[in-house]
Amino acid sequence: EAKSSAVASSQIIHSDGGEMEPETMEIKSVSEYFTKMHLGSVC
Amino acid sequence: MAQSAANGVDQDLASKRLHSRMEASCLELALEGERLCKAGDFKGGTAFFEAAVQVGTEDLKTLSAIYSQLGNAYFYLKEYGKALEYHKHDLTLARTIGDRIGEGKASGNLGNTLKVLGRFDEAVVCCQRHLDISQEQGDKVGEARALYNIGNVFHAQGKQQLWGCTQDPGDLPLDVRDTLQRATGFYEMNLCLVKELGDRAAQGRAYGNLGNTHYLLGNFVEAIKFHRQRLSIAKEFGDKAAERRAYSNLGNALIFLGQFNTATEYYRKTLQLSRQLRDQVMEAQACYSLGNTYTLLQQYERAIDYHLKHLYIAQELTDRVGEGRACWSLGNAYVSLQNHKQALHYARKHLDISKEIGDRNGELTARM
Repeated sequence: EAKSSAVASSQIIHSDGGEMEPETMEIKSVSEYFTKMHLGSVC
Repeated sequence: MAQSAANGVDQDLASKRLHSRMEASCLELALEGERLCKAGDFKGGTAFFEAAVQVGTEDLKTLSAIYSQLGNAYFYLKEYGKALEYHKHDLTLARTIGDRIGEGKASGNLGNTLKVLGRFDEAVVCCQRHLDISQEQGDKVGEARALYNIGNVFHAQGKQQLWGCTQDPGDLPLDVRDTLQRATGFYEMNLCLVKELGDRAAQGRAYGNLGNTHYLLGNFVEAIKFHRQRLSIAKEFGDKAAERRAYSNLGNALIFLGQFNTATEYYRKTLQLSRQLRDQVMEAQACYSLGNTYTLLQQYERAIDYHLKHLYIAQELTDRVGEGRACWSLGNAYVSLQNHKQALHYARKHLDISKEIGDRNGELTARM
């Protein structure tokens, strides 16, 4: 829905409902996996 | 006969060498992609990861990590269609190799991506699977993150349900209230767990979002309590972006408690931090909030000052909706000062912009 430019002051403040905290994405690291594999083969 | 056997061995060796070179090359490309993404260069990172996929690898766990990071990079680049595609590949691969933790992680990432695409029901299913697998594997960190992500999905859904509603926070339709209460419940479970794990950064995120859901539910005192805790952790980490968010959210909640003067103090800190962070969009938002708050305080000259600042930034950013809002607010402030000439000037500008962007509501209001 398009945002309107005509809104009452209190609603303007409210319009976005506050700023959310960022998402947390799960990480699968190639370097960590490689290091583990390498250590595994050395041991 | 002996010659042909020797040829066969040579070919076998050459093929093994090529294979091992390709594996090494894929790994090198992936490691460079990872390095670039860690440095925040997601565009460069995707190029290397995609080249790594082209070269290929027989190590399916490496391939899963590449798909996962490609999905995340596209997520941060806001190319959600591609992010979705890679997280799906990762999920399929993790299942194929029987990597349960990997399956949980892929599900979580898929859930986050579906959430930003507004596909909330599917997002909940994915995040719930992340939660189930984490619990099954005794992975407390994963469990906490999954709880946070489910909270996020309900939170975003609640906000979307609110779009177009003209009510004040707290004055909510039942289904919206229910969605936001669910979000709050998951954030509370997340907070409990991250406290147990001693993860302060995660506590900060939980406090911030709890502040936001309580704000939307109309529990302003509670919201302020949580945002203050968020602010304190942001300062502890020197996280300026989180600090700015907390000040802005605190200002918004204080408005609804009628504490306009304190709200202006927080908005000023928001403005200062936005400038420090060179975030023009947030700078414009802070000016706008300040303009509106001074209007509520009936300090119209100051309100005009901030609305003009907002207008200039909106023009610089070619944000026509923002420009329209600034003109509308300026028109109102000049009416209050009985400066009819300026009021008419901005009302006309507001009307022109509303027509141009097809904002029917804005157009009707401007005509009045």
